[in-house]
Amino acid sequence: MRAAVSRPGVLLAVYPGATRQRLAVEAELARRGWPCVSGPAEADLLVIAGDHEGEGRGEGGESDWVAGLWQGIPAPKVRVWVTDPERAADALDSGLADLVRGEHEDDHAHEAHHEHHEHQQDGGTAPHSDHGGHDMHGGHHGHAGHAMGLVEGLPMADRADDRDGLRLDVLHVPLGPVLADWPAGLILHLTLQGDIVQEVTVEPVATPPSPSPPFWDEPWLRAASGEHISRGDAARRLCAAHLDSLGRFFAVAGWDDMAARTRHVRDRALAGATAAELTSLVRPLIRRAERSRTLRWLTTGLGTLPAEQARQRGVTGPALVADGDAYSRMLVWLEAVGRSAATCDVTEALDTAEVVGPRGRLDTPVPPSRALLDSLPRLLEGTEFACARIIVASLDPDLDELTHVPAPGTVHSHG
Amino acid sequence: MDVAVFWVLAVLAVAGAVMVFRFDSMARATFSLLASLLCVGGLVVLLGLDYLGIVIVLMMTIEMAIMAVFMVMYMMNPAGLMPMTMIHNKKGAAVVCGLVFALLAAGILLAPWPARRGKAPADPTMELGMSLMGPQMLTMMTLGMALFATIVATVVLATRRGRYDRFGDDLRARRADDPVRGGVGR
Amino acid sequence: MVERTPLWAVFVLPALLVGAALVTAGFDAVLAAGARRGRPGSLRETAVRAVEPGRQVLRHLVQQPRRTRASDLPLARIGAGLLPVAAVLAAVVLPLGFRSVSDLPEGIVWFNAMEALAWAAVWLAGWGPNSTLSLIGGYRFLAQGLAYELPHMLAITTAALGAESLRVGEVVDAQAGLWFVVWMPVAFVIYLLSAMAMAFWGPFDQPAGRDVAGGAGAELSGADRVLFLGGRWLLLVVAAAFSVPLFLGGGHGPLLPGWAWTVLKTAAVLAFLVGVRRAIPTVRMERYLELAWVVLTPLAIVQALVVAVVVLNR
Repeated sequence: MRAAVSRPGVLLAVYPGATRQRLAVEAELARRGWPCVSGPAEADLLVIAGDHEGEGRGEGGESDWVAGLWQGIPAPKVRVWVTDPERAADALDSGLADLVRGEHEDDHAHEAHHEHHEHQQDGGTAPHSDHGGHDMHGGHHGHAGHAMGLVEGLPMADRADDRDGLRLDVLHVPLGPVLADWPAGLILHLTLQGDIVQEVTVEPVATPPSPSPPFWDEPWLRAASGEHISRGDAARRLCAAHLDSLGRFFAVAGWDDMAARTRHVRDRALAGATAAELTSLVRPLIRRAERSRTLRWLTTGLGTLPAEQARQRGVTGPALVADGDAYSRMLVWLEAVGRSAATCDVTEALDTAEVVGPRGRLDTPVPPSRALLDSLPRLLEGTEFACARIIVASLDPDLDELTHVPAPGTVHSHG
Repeated sequence: MDVAVFWVLAVLAVAGAVMVFRFDSMARATFSLLASLLCVGGLVVLLGLDYLGIVIVLMMTIEMAIMAVFMVMYMMNPAGLMPMTMIHNKKGAAVVCGLVFALLAAGILLAPWPARRGKAPADPTMELGMSLMGPQMLTMMTLGMALFATIVATVVLATRRGRYDRFGDDLRARRADDPVRGGVGR
Repeated sequence: MVERTPLWAVFVLPALLVGAALVTAGFDAVLAAGARRGRPGSLRETAVRAVEPGRQVLRHLVQQPRRTRASDLPLARIGAGLLPVAAVLAAVVLPLGFRSVSDLPEGIVWFNAMEALAWAAVWLAGWGPNSTLSLIGGYRFLAQGLAYELPHMLAITTAALGAESLRVGEVVDAQAGLWFVVWMPVAFVIYLLSAMAMAFWGPFDQPAGRDVAGGAGAELSGADRVLFLGGRWLLLVVAAAFSVPLFLGGGHGPLLPGWAWTVLKTAAVLAFLVGVRRAIPTVRMERYLELAWVVLTPLAIVQALVVAVVVLNR
């Protein structure tokens, strides 16, 4: 038993706004060599990153989708909360200790499961399986109306025209919020035919506004509000933000090796590596990604977003600069990573005339990720599931930006 | 030994075939048909026709797997949530089945089976190939090409988009205008 | 000529395959850990990483089996269990040195038929649990099968053509002088691609990809998961090992005994494939299908034609 769980499979559930906690947990998992799994079926330890106030809380103090996730994990299982990034290691240690001692909560979970199950069948309004798919579960029950009917509380497939003019079955599937390499908190409602995405709507983020600035935009927002932030710190954050996005992009594209290397460099950047070290780490990554013909063959032509359309939708960041497909957006990221890695030791103050974070201008009325989300549906419709994942990863909207409500008069006075 | 294997496979084949009509899910029906056909493949191997038996296993597995594509097209609910009957037109089907069975059984019983002449060949696979491809080479080649042409023609007739849709009216477009881009660019 | 094999070989074969699969998975785990931590790690760390697959098996075995709502449990179980069975059955015709468990006269067709059982297995495992992501995983494998099978069949037929026999033993004998890889390089490369594709592993791991949370295996836990993922590694080992008698001269080689050459060559092929996995992202079928049908299939046919002409003029 001890040997079996000494390196538990960890499933990370991240609330929007908990980027700092997620990064701390990921770095700690890498240090320990614990596997970071992609679904509840293979997990032993559920790590819930972030503190979630409001929204429907279960008895354990978490919201519905986390409760659903918890039920999907087979015993023996343990869950831990990470609210303080400094204490990620302690949380993992306590989780492991509980697992080894066998203090898992399986009995309790069983009861909870049965209750939940019956409740759903009685109500007949819960179309999504709690147990059947973590991915599909968001605790959002708005789709019962589309479905033909319910069997065991699950929606039946519908019919719709496909792109070749045939009338075939479709499924309405919510995607997210817990999915490996997926923006925290993002929920997309997909209409699937086979593995082709026919229709997409973006679920509005339900989390209550948070006063703390989004992690990736922090230096620029603080500089805009008058604090002294060095250009080096901002460059370091930019470098790490793009490396994080690139890590997701490579992981979704199925290039595990590059994803792992990118994440290692990201962790080094956040841990305060010098410009020289960072440059030497970043250079082989960039060279390898740029030289990979397979990656180019596989990602060109996916999710083409011409600059004109991007501008209309208010996109201001790398997606606008790229003026093209997923591959060109990756190239823009790579270029920015190389540039910012070299300047992350500069101590002079950040220029506050233009407040541009990793995903675009922060001095506009809507955050840059809003614009990215708005352009998602048109890019995703008609693509295959795998392509849709790559397109989302190549835009990598940060939902932390949407939950953040700036105090009045901080940013806009400068912009 | 052979007799025991024969009966086991024969009973499994018939049971699998019966279950095709008893199951109420398309996936189960398909795969019980596959199980039945695999047993038939085993029986053919038992007869000493290894090559034919193994080819039956190969072809039927791939065929049934491809059936699954249609299953997703017409019944996308995984695991077949909605129980559906695999039997339609019960009476008519029963009559047709009964007649065909009677006909085949009568054929088996009434036909004057020839007595065995000569010996079984040492390598039945070789003999099979020789008899198919030796004197009948031209027939087989023509048949093969005709089948292939039929497949291609069916696909061409079924698809709505032709090369003018893909490459423009003057066929000059550099890249085909497809809903999903292919890997070669044609 | 291949010698007769005693009955106990039937029991040794699965054990050998499992051992080979564990070693390969361990090697892969060491490389993966090195990538995430930015350095190879000390000798002790490497040893710890190398036993990681074994520990994962234990971890899954102590897990409770779980079932999803409205699932077709028997189908999913059959799917998960069929995968390792198909791999072991395919390995029956694999010669270790010059000895295989059963050198069937149609060994090459047998291998192909057993490998096709994996199609059914993955599809069943994906369909059974009633979860969209695992359904997509199962569905993807069918697309992958259609893409790789055509050039794959032509490639193994080419090797059979070169030996003028479907018996694996005779294919090995035909390579006593010149290995087939030398004059059938195209078929060999195509075979290696399809070896990874049939094990849905490495650059062809879309059916069990991380983007669909594990795809066909997404909802499997406990022993089912061990069978499914273990079966996948077995399939990879068997597919890689089959390239040795087909193209790399089987047990032929100087100095060492036949079995040692087989093991060495298989290990080399596996190491190469593990390296390829680290160098190449996942190949999506909507791109690969066109490549397979428009480029690889004609190439394979030309290769078969060349071999046929050579054989006729011998």
